[in-house]
Amino acid sequence: MATSHSKKAAAFLSDPDKVTRHDQTFWGIREKRDIQAAMLPEWEDLREHASEIKEHTLTHLADYLEEFSKNLESNGVIVHWAKDAQEFNEIAYSILENNKVKKLVKSKSMLTEECEMNDYLIEKGIDVVETDLGERILQLMKLKPSHIVVPAAHITRDEVGSMFEKEGISKEIGNHDPTYLTQCARYNLREEFIEAEAGLTGCNFGVAATGDCVVCTNEGNADMCTAIPKLHIVAMGIDKVIPNYDSLAVFQRLLCRCGTGQPTSSFTSHFRKARPDGEMHVILVDNGRSDIIANPLHWKTAKCIRCGACMNTCPVYRRSMGYSYSYFIPGPIGVNLGMLRNPKKHSGNVSACSLCLSCDHVCPTKVAPGSQIYFWRQELEKFGTENKEKKYMSAAMKKLYGNYTVYDIATQYAHFANYIPQKMMDIKQNTWSEGHDMPHFPKKPFHKIYRQMMKEMEKEEKRK
Amino acid sequence: MKKEELLNKLRSSVTQQFDMPSEPVKGITFTDISKQFIEMSKTVGGKVIEVKNTDDLNTIIHKAYPNAKVFASVVKGIKADLNPDSVASAAELNGTDVGIIQGVIGVAENGCIWIPQTMKERAICFISEELVILLDRKNIVNNMHEAYKRIEINSYGYGVFISGPSKTADIEQALVMGAQAARGVTVILID
Repeated sequence: MATSHSKKAAAFLSDPDKVTRHDQTFWGIREKRDIQAAMLPEWEDLREHASEIKEHTLTHLADYLEEFSKNLESNGVIVHWAKDAQEFNEIAYSILENNKVKKLVKSKSMLTEECEMNDYLIEKGIDVVETDLGERILQLMKLKPSHIVVPAAHITRDEVGSMFEKEGISKEIGNHDPTYLTQCARYNLREEFIEAEAGLTGCNFGVAATGDCVVCTNEGNADMCTAIPKLHIVAMGIDKVIPNYDSLAVFQRLLCRCGTGQPTSSFTSHFRKARPDGEMHVILVDNGRSDIIANPLHWKTAKCIRCGACMNTCPVYRRSMGYSYSYFIPGPIGVNLGMLRNPKKHSGNVSACSLCLSCDHVCPTKVAPGSQIYFWRQELEKFGTENKEKKYMSAAMKKLYGNYTVYDIATQYAHFANYIPQKMMDIKQNTWSEGHDMPHFPKKPFHKIYRQMMKEMEKEEKRK
Repeated sequence: MKKEELLNKLRSSVTQQFDMPSEPVKGITFTDISKQFIEMSKTVGGKVIEVKNTDDLNTIIHKAYPNAKVFASVVKGIKADLNPDSVASAAELNGTDVGIIQGVIGVAENGCIWIPQTMKERAICFISEELVILLDRKNIVNNMHEAYKRIEINSYGYGVFISGPSKTADIEQALVMGAQAARGVTVILID
């Protein structure tokens, strides 16, 4: 009953050391998140507020988008609206082309991953440089992120070190110390920041009341991208808009505590206007978000603020890594977003859940990604991606457990199955045997023992 | 895409609307607010020097960075080699050893300091190897809720909360200070 996720996960699991390291990395972040949560008596109140603010904003989104764009424009910011990835890429390129940009430095943006913007711009001749260290490592290694917050957590220091040597970024051959390698990247990227004619950032929160685009980073790279080049492009999904500063305080406090277990990101940058003599553009991207909001069963997925807490806590993600998922966002929220993007293509991820619902309990905006995965599993037949074997098995089980006579006879004779040699059971057709031993059936089933016991107790009562 | 088209779609797809929460969040408060702020500043990787308003800031800064050669600032009374208001381009600030900037609000719960842009080239806040942030002790608030009630953005249209130095843990989760922006932050807390 293998799914696309379980097949890829099996390959990852073949290297136990790597799995243990990956598991411990993310469990460590989860533990740091717990420490932060325990420090605030108002923690659960914050989560409830975050959830309610998002539900309010998403159900009044048109009004808030109007307010946000009006404020942007009154601050001299140029606003663009993109229906899908194609339109987004075209708009981004036209801005760069109009400004004769050759080099673009950018901070981390999952939206540009979603739209595959880098490939599009590079094809058109733009030199696109990722400046978040993790993203830069992946870009140079021609790899995709395996996590939305710590995108290169699956790469070892030796892999980074060797690649930096090959690229000429580090000079001391064999020195794979993270501090040394980070400094090498720092010097290398300094040149890029200075050479670039434009900087692109994502946007964690768009404040409707003021027109601020708020970006949270630890490296300060979003600020380096926008403090030196004079052209600033903000790429943001329409779901990133929130009402005002009071709401922002709630999300700012939750985002980093949930995402990395820090009390705050090092930089919480508010961009409201272009730099002196510069230009600022905001591209508001739909690309399916309005469809998510219109989905009666799954609209709450749009409450997600992309902190990554659900991945860090997920026992399946921690032991299977981002590349086991078919959608570019992995983990519990990625399973949901993938199904909303293209259910036929991404149904192979819904098995990547033990329904432990740990993600529901850590999610800062109460998206309840685990509970929603349960609903997606009920819907698979609609997309023709349900597991046929499981369907037949369920039908057979319904007959077996739903009819007392059939069940009684089956359990009475089940112990004969114990005589079947293990070898005959450990075959490919018997998917149950993968990772399980066959159960040992008792000669006397439990319900028989129970009934006998009840009779004896009755007799005893009468005797008294 | 036409903006109206999107807004109409969003409006027509909503079947139930939800209200904003009626009560604000009661954010954490501290009995000794500056002790908490100092503790958090250290937790996030910064240093704190406590001074009196009669102390000579230039002497204190030079003592804190005895090997620094290039200082940059627009703060009144601070001696500097580079002035972010008058440099020809932001890139000219590259090579600054110590940038000295004015903080407006400190946040005790997480060590954040609000820095509105008050100079032509804000690159000084990020490009400097070391950053010194001046902050009046009386401007420390408990939490972000209180901070966001007070912050203002001037005509430069930019402001940032900075909490400690630039950091990364992108290589094997090993914490390294000084990713792309300042490697170290010293907060000078003025009475």
